[in-house]
Amino acid sequence: MTEHTTERTAPASLELEAISKVYGVTRAIDEINAQVPAGEVTVIVGPSGAGKTTLLRIISGLDTPTTGRVLFDGSPIKGVPDGLAMVFQDYSRSLFPWMRVEDNVAFPLRRGVEKAERRRRVLEALQAVGLEGKERLYPWQMSGGMQQRVAIARALACHPRLLVMDEPYASVDAQTRAELEDLLLEIQTRLNVTVLVVTHDIDESVYLADNIIVMSKAPSTVQEVIRVGLARPRDQIATKEEPEFVHARAHVLRLLRGEAEPEAATPDDTLEVGV
Amino acid sequence: MQLIHEPLSRRSEVVLGVAGVLGSALVLELLIRLEIVTGSGLPLPSAVADQARGLLGDVDFWSQILYTLREWMLGLAIASVAGVVLGGLMGASRTVFKLFALTVEILRPLPAIAVGPLLVLLIGDGMLPLAVTVAIACTWPILFNSMYAAKAVDPVAIQTARTLHVSPLGILTRIRLPAALPFMFTGIRVAASIGLIVAVSAELLLGNGVGIGGYILLASTSASNLDAVYAATLVAGVMGVLVSVLFAVADRLLFGWKAGLAP
Repeated sequence: MTEHTTERTAPASLELEAISKVYGVTRAIDEINAQVPAGEVTVIVGPSGAGKTTLLRIISGLDTPTTGRVLFDGSPIKGVPDGLAMVFQDYSRSLFPWMRVEDNVAFPLRRGVEKAERRRRVLEALQAVGLEGKERLYPWQMSGGMQQRVAIARALACHPRLLVMDEPYASVDAQTRAELEDLLLEIQTRLNVTVLVVTHDIDESVYLADNIIVMSKAPSTVQEVIRVGLARPRDQIATKEEPEFVHARAHVLRLLRGEAEPEAATPDDTLEVGV
Repeated sequence: MQLIHEPLSRRSEVVLGVAGVLGSALVLELLIRLEIVTGSGLPLPSAVADQARGLLGDVDFWSQILYTLREWMLGLAIASVAGVVLGGLMGASRTVFKLFALTVEILRPLPAIAVGPLLVLLIGDGMLPLAVTVAIACTWPILFNSMYAAKAVDPVAIQTARTLHVSPLGILTRIRLPAALPFMFTGIRVAASIGLIVAVSAELLLGNGVGIGGYILLASTSASNLDAVYAATLVAGVMGVLVSVLFAVADRLLFGWKAGLAP
């Protein structure tokens, strides 16, 4: 779209090399090897307690792995990588209640960004999530869906090359969730950013993903990486009727229930086992 | 009588409060006038009110009120800085907490008023020992509120700031401090009322005749002047009410965003 003409750097790629995480005697993550290709949407899905949030904390530099390393554009990360922006599930705790919407969105821009440029970027980010005119409100004066839009706008304001989202829509109602899923896909295409989403919602994982990384329960490993070839732009009704969507959805569900072998090993199994 | 009901309007709350005060005064007036309660030196509300009206027209008494207010503000200011800084750091850092926790526990039970005479010996006459006595009493509620406030800052807010590349110092000043401020202010609000009581008591005890306490002390040496003692005490009580209203208003104006804190 022409109204967003800001120069953006290229989307980032991510590689997870033999990541493990041990807490005391508990092995949370056994070994994770995975790729997050640049410019695509990758979704991590797994049963609850699969260490998904632990993995995200490691990827975003908030925590360190016991072994293994994370490569951000080919270089091992030390701390939170530049160009990574994170959106948390709990928007009401992640947005700062003492700041108005505009100050929340401008918060990451304070270092070395001029006032006029800061203002421009805030308006641009709010426009990207459909919140023009709401900049003087406080986040807690808004609905949950709007608050999560503010959190996304704040992440976008830093012009991220990798957008990481931890169960971003788990706390909003179904209607809002569908809107925010479409918003994310639209932003991802328009801004050409790499997106990594963690979810436990299987429909959501297939709907959003170019790639799905299916994790096992703890100590977690990667069960399978599924390539989703569904056309873009996706549609909440039509896409979900497509055979590939239905098939992928059933396959992920079987993997999570432990009823299916990974597809690469036994390609025929998935169609035979009933759900 | 209805015990649970809709919240009252602001106006009827004020009306009820005033009616309660006037009613109690009326009952006391009747008890004394009808000689149901007898004895010398009882405070007859009408006489005390009369005396209080006289006091408020007295320039000298006003200068005593101002003295007490200045002493109270100085003490509260010292306590606010000490309590917020030390309490905030104790809440934010485990090391600082361990360093000071025992000292705080040992010092806390000491009654500030009892320390007063020592302070006079140490720092001499004048307003400072009185203000420091106020400060000692006021520090504790501010310190503990600040400590728990800084400790209770939402970890998600701190993680968010970390992913936004905020330095550890920035997290202290831009996240922990603003998030904790409303609760620190609650501590200051509680301390403000305590401080006024301590200010008047310290003047009474360490007395060289200054402040409202000093006035009460001098007036009470003459048995015929007991109404003046009661009147001055009444003025001190009214000051306490004004202070607490003032702080409540400031709280609402400054920290209205508290409504947005996650439950």
